[in-house]
Amino acid sequence: MALFAPPPMYADPTMAADKQHAFNPYSENGGSILAIAGADFTVIAGDTRQSEGYSIQTRYARKVWQLTDRCVIATNGFAADGNNFVKRIKQRLEWYEHAHQKQMSIKAIARLTQTMLYGNRFFPYFAYVILGGIDEDGTGAVYSFDPIGSYEREACRAAGAAQSLIQPFLDNQIYFRNQTPAPGAEPFVPGRLPLSTVLGLVIDSFTSATEREIAVGDGLELYVVMKKGRTTDDLVGSDNLIKNMQVQELGALGEGGSERTFLVSLPLKRD
Amino acid sequence: MGSPMEYNGGSVVAMVGKDCVAIATDLRLGQQSIGVAYNFDKVVAVNDKLYYGLPGLATDVYSLREHLRFRVNMYRMKEEREITPKTFTHLVSSSLYEKRFGPWFIEPVVAGLPQPTELDPHPKPFISTMDTIGCITTPKDFAVAGTAADKLYGAAEGLWEPDLEPDDLFETISQTLLNAVDRDCLSGWGAIVHVITQDKVVTRRLRSRMD
Amino acid sequence: MFLTRSEYDRGVNTFSPEGRLFQVEYAMEAIKLGSTTVGITTPYGTVLAVEKRVPSPLIESSSIEKIMEIDAHIGCAMSGLTADARTMVEHARVTSQMHNFTYDEKIGVESCTQAVCDLALRFGESVEDDDALMSRPFGVALLIAGIDEKGPQLYHADPSGTFTRYDAKAIGSGSDAAQQSLQDSFHKQMSLIEAHTLALKVLKQVMEEKVDENNVQLAQVTPEKGFTILGEDELKRVIEGLAA
Repeated sequence: MALFAPPPMYADPTMAADKQHAFNPYSENGGSILAIAGADFTVIAGDTRQSEGYSIQTRYARKVWQLTDRCVIATNGFAADGNNFVKRIKQRLEWYEHAHQKQMSIKAIARLTQTMLYGNRFFPYFAYVILGGIDEDGTGAVYSFDPIGSYEREACRAAGAAQSLIQPFLDNQIYFRNQTPAPGAEPFVPGRLPLSTVLGLVIDSFTSATEREIAVGDGLELYVVMKKGRTTDDLVGSDNLIKNMQVQELGALGEGGSERTFLVSLPLKRD
Repeated sequence: MGSPMEYNGGSVVAMVGKDCVAIATDLRLGQQSIGVAYNFDKVVAVNDKLYYGLPGLATDVYSLREHLRFRVNMYRMKEEREITPKTFTHLVSSSLYEKRFGPWFIEPVVAGLPQPTELDPHPKPFISTMDTIGCITTPKDFAVAGTAADKLYGAAEGLWEPDLEPDDLFETISQTLLNAVDRDCLSGWGAIVHVITQDKVVTRRLRSRMD
Repeated sequence: MFLTRSEYDRGVNTFSPEGRLFQVEYAMEAIKLGSTTVGITTPYGTVLAVEKRVPSPLIESSSIEKIMEIDAHIGCAMSGLTADARTMVEHARVTSQMHNFTYDEKIGVESCTQAVCDLALRFGESVEDDDALMSRPFGVALLIAGIDEKGPQLYHADPSGTFTRYDAKAIGSGSDAAQQSLQDSFHKQMSLIEAHTLALKVLKQVMEEKVDENNVQLAQVTPEKGFTILGEDELKRVIEGLAA
């Protein structure tokens, strides 16, 4: 009901004639999203809590969606705008497939996302968008956007309520910021960590965020997009499973893509 | 003018290790977005086992530091002993609460190693933090305050682990502080880290990005 | 066909009882009056060649433009009412720029051809608020050459809005003879040089004048350089090779 904001403070409530009802078309629904690119995979994750102010609306609302065989989208901010944006993107992807007889590349989806967001320049979708997937030459790719369409390709990105908690941690662990290789050792290269390390970092990030940020929690949904032909042993091998963690493979959306997408779900700490 | 808590910028973090504690601060002093100095140390030693940091409004940093110096000296003379971290925390707390309705714009962080006594021969490393009116928290892991507090929480949650040896504690608190302040416009511009053990205090000045 | 002419060739959108749209068929006839135009696909790129009719020595032959760039990787050659082609090429250019703007990638050759053909059927009476552009069908056919992830391609687009992919195709006044000779000489593993020579050889057969650098134009789309129109020197060299 916060969509109907109370009258502004300066309006004198005793003067009925002056009463104004402002309609605020936006809301902030909490939660956080995160994506990290690897050499031949990308991990895109989001928590499943949806809140408004101090109220939890639902403990399970999806923020991450599979778009194509090699692209997954995550949105954060105003859930209605995010969901609607994903719906429209999916529609455009279908049109594109009909017009051009191929699935859109993640690079093309990124540009399309910009055009669609900027198209609403003066009444924006209040959604922070992150795309994750595999690019045309088989490397992991992450694209992040602001609500009006500025975008950049990166090795990792966090957004949402816990962005300020997670991003410095990622700077350190993914970009190796403030770290120096030992003398004679290999230089650090971002975006080359093994899947098991990245999974650990993502889960740690969300556990930390859950600990300190009330808008984050309940469940974690984590999509792993793998380059075609890549081994899946480091994900589906049962000894890699954390307690209560479930792994499920999502079927192919188009023909011939042969990239593989897995959905990992686990509950977040409840105390 | 914005919040007095964000006028000058700056952040402090303290961490518990195995028989050691560490406290670290950035060195920036600013006036909103303008950087003014990069030698503004917000951490003060009470003695060689007890340090505290005062992030917040710079004018209050000076006033509160002098106030506490006076109170600690009086305590030392009257009691003829050093103040313990726990007592010092309560001293800071009551000093802050005195100004309940016109507070010091400071959120102090305290870190110290209590001296062994007959009653408590193996005291635990101690850290504490307070809000602007002196409400005490005594975490068992780490305490953060200042304009980069949220970033410090995230970094510390991710990097800290129990029972760190002094060298590892130094690395952990340094990485926590540097990576947090690098994402904060109002903190940074160098840092100082103190690692307190029973036999010595190691103080290091860290170089960091200056933007 | 013209013997059975009836009143049904008046309205551009009126089918005859036999199910024909005469105006569209007439438009196809207009192409057969146009200068001969040839396209050849090779594994190394696609070649376009046109005959430029220079009826008077006072004409500046370089001002006759029958091969045009659509995008860096797509070009086209025309035959028929070349003025109509400008509208189509303009549309194709805008479409490929829009595609690049929206998707950050080059438009496919087939998609570009499809866009041109979508335009070809937008003639007739315009309904209110409807932006039908032309009152009659286009009187021009295009050979669209380009390269995308599927490799070098050649498409033929005609006034009926139909497009077909070819290995080699000739259109215009000499197209019957030219197509036959393409069929005889084309092979799939042709080099670009061979394709240049074949294209001009075919034009030479159907042209009345002697082939020189002023009355033919050659262009190619290659993976390395994209769309390029061959310069006078290069053209001369191919023509010299023709005589040998």
